[in-house]
Amino acid sequence: MSDLARQQSEFQRAILTGDDTILAEIPDSTREKRETLFGVYRYAYSSRLVEAMRNDHKLLHVYLGDEMFNEMGHAYVAAYPSHHPNLRWFSGHLPDFLKSAEAYSKYPILADLAALEKALNDAFDAVEAPVVTVADMAAFAPQAWAALTFKPHPSARRLDLSTNATAVWFALKADEDPPEPAVLEEPNRLLAWRQDVTPVFHQLSAEEAMMWDEASSGIPFGVLCSMLATYDDPDGAAARGAGYLHQWVTAGLLQSVASGERSGE
Amino acid sequence: MNVASQMPVPVTARSADPAGKPEFLGFGLGLRAQHYDEILNGSPAIDWFEVISDNYMIPGGQPLRMLERIRERYPLVMHGVSLSIASTAPPDFAYLGNLRDLARRVEPKWISDHLCWTGVHGKNLHDLLPFPYSREALDHVVSRVQLVQDFLGRALVLENVSTYVQFTNSEMTEWEFLSELSRRSGCWLLFDVNNVYVSAFNHGYDALTFLEGIPADRVVQFHMAGHSHMGTHIVDTHDHPVCEDVWELYAAALKRFGWVSTIIERDDHIPPLDEIMVEVERTRAVAHQILPPLVPRGR
Repeated sequence: MSDLARQQSEFQRAILTGDDTILAEIPDSTREKRETLFGVYRYAYSSRLVEAMRNDHKLLHVYLGDEMFNEMGHAYVAAYPSHHPNLRWFSGHLPDFLKSAEAYSKYPILADLAALEKALNDAFDAVEAPVVTVADMAAFAPQAWAALTFKPHPSARRLDLSTNATAVWFALKADEDPPEPAVLEEPNRLLAWRQDVTPVFHQLSAEEAMMWDEASSGIPFGVLCSMLATYDDPDGAAARGAGYLHQWVTAGLLQSVASGERSGE
Repeated sequence: MNVASQMPVPVTARSADPAGKPEFLGFGLGLRAQHYDEILNGSPAIDWFEVISDNYMIPGGQPLRMLERIRERYPLVMHGVSLSIASTAPPDFAYLGNLRDLARRVEPKWISDHLCWTGVHGKNLHDLLPFPYSREALDHVVSRVQLVQDFLGRALVLENVSTYVQFTNSEMTEWEFLSELSRRSGCWLLFDVNNVYVSAFNHGYDALTFLEGIPADRVVQFHMAGHSHMGTHIVDTHDHPVCEDVWELYAAALKRFGWVSTIIERDDHIPPLDEIMVEVERTRAVAHQILPPLVPRGR
């Protein structure tokens, strides 16, 4: 290992672990001790990362308050050091961390709130793609519909939340007091995506969530309607399926629709 | 609207140097999302923008759309924070590929980053970290700059960073290191006036000595920014207006380097555009006050 490589390893270790070995190769300045000067780098490291987390999770920050968010943020920084050159992706493991870390897993509202904010963040700068229009759909003959398959817009994110995190999210967004956290009897099924440039989310019924998940995996419309028939009135299944599909199209949730076996672009 | 044509600087002076030296762009600003609407709705009198490359190395969405719209109206320069040119870790070719892709989209006048490293062993500390100015480090950075320049197909512009510590095994000054790096690798220099001021205070040398030690023909850009004074040391926070001492150093830099593309950089406590425009206008006014009219190259 070169001397430069050794010094960089020790410099990094000093920031990450507090090991002071590198300080033997750093002089005091005329005005200040080396420990204080090196401390600028130590402080900047974790504070910069926690600040990035605050930017990504503004409502979780409001919910927890400065002190608790900072404590949580520093714990996350220690558990998930950054491996990506772009700070944009640093907080991506936060929902998993909040689900698994002992200090936070007993408050599932936190992981859910983080997951909702992450889904909206991911939708915000997801890759661009065309959207299917009502006119595109009208171009298919009625007899072709049973074989139609659909490709979700790349900004679409499905998530199931076990708590009333959406109610908390709406309250915080409106600068109101959030409701008490509660675990729901049934998961709250959400679909987040980007409309034009704005990330939005929509709450789905169990039936619509099933149809979206199956449509996303390439199941054709005719089969989707048969599946819907197992959820509610079988005679109205096709109409319900067409209704959900219309909502998805008008919301800009589909990137493409294809007839037959081919999955179109 | 690009107002360079309204300046008393001949537009023909902007043509690129045959030897590849980037053109003079005028007086600009670091582009920040807080100002998107004011820029697009108000067409402020800013000659050009420097964009943080990393902020646009994302799949899609509003930031890239805004960048496209601003690019239609203003010259852009890409300025990165994660190149980690001095790192002894293998180069991150995925990052370089993304940088090259963004450059193809943006067509920047040049691409800059910092003379620093940001991490080793697969970790990224997201900071502009110092290293000793040793012959070993110089050889290493020269070879990395040459590699990156070959990869990107263009000369890099590298910026001096603010530092808080020095190393006992440094064998040359920072300005000697920068000069040799530029001479050997062919990279251009971004002279951050505030960073020179900060490092000079922190390490107890004269900022003018630094300035005099940099070859005048290698500097293609100035940064002007604010900092936080801690009494015994200064931290480069970019969250304050430019202080008077740095304005004085800017005047000295103009006398040494001449007409150099300049921006105001603000990364935190970002004020409304009209407030920061006062500083942009001051960079322009001081240059016109100090320097003789720019003579177009080739005359």
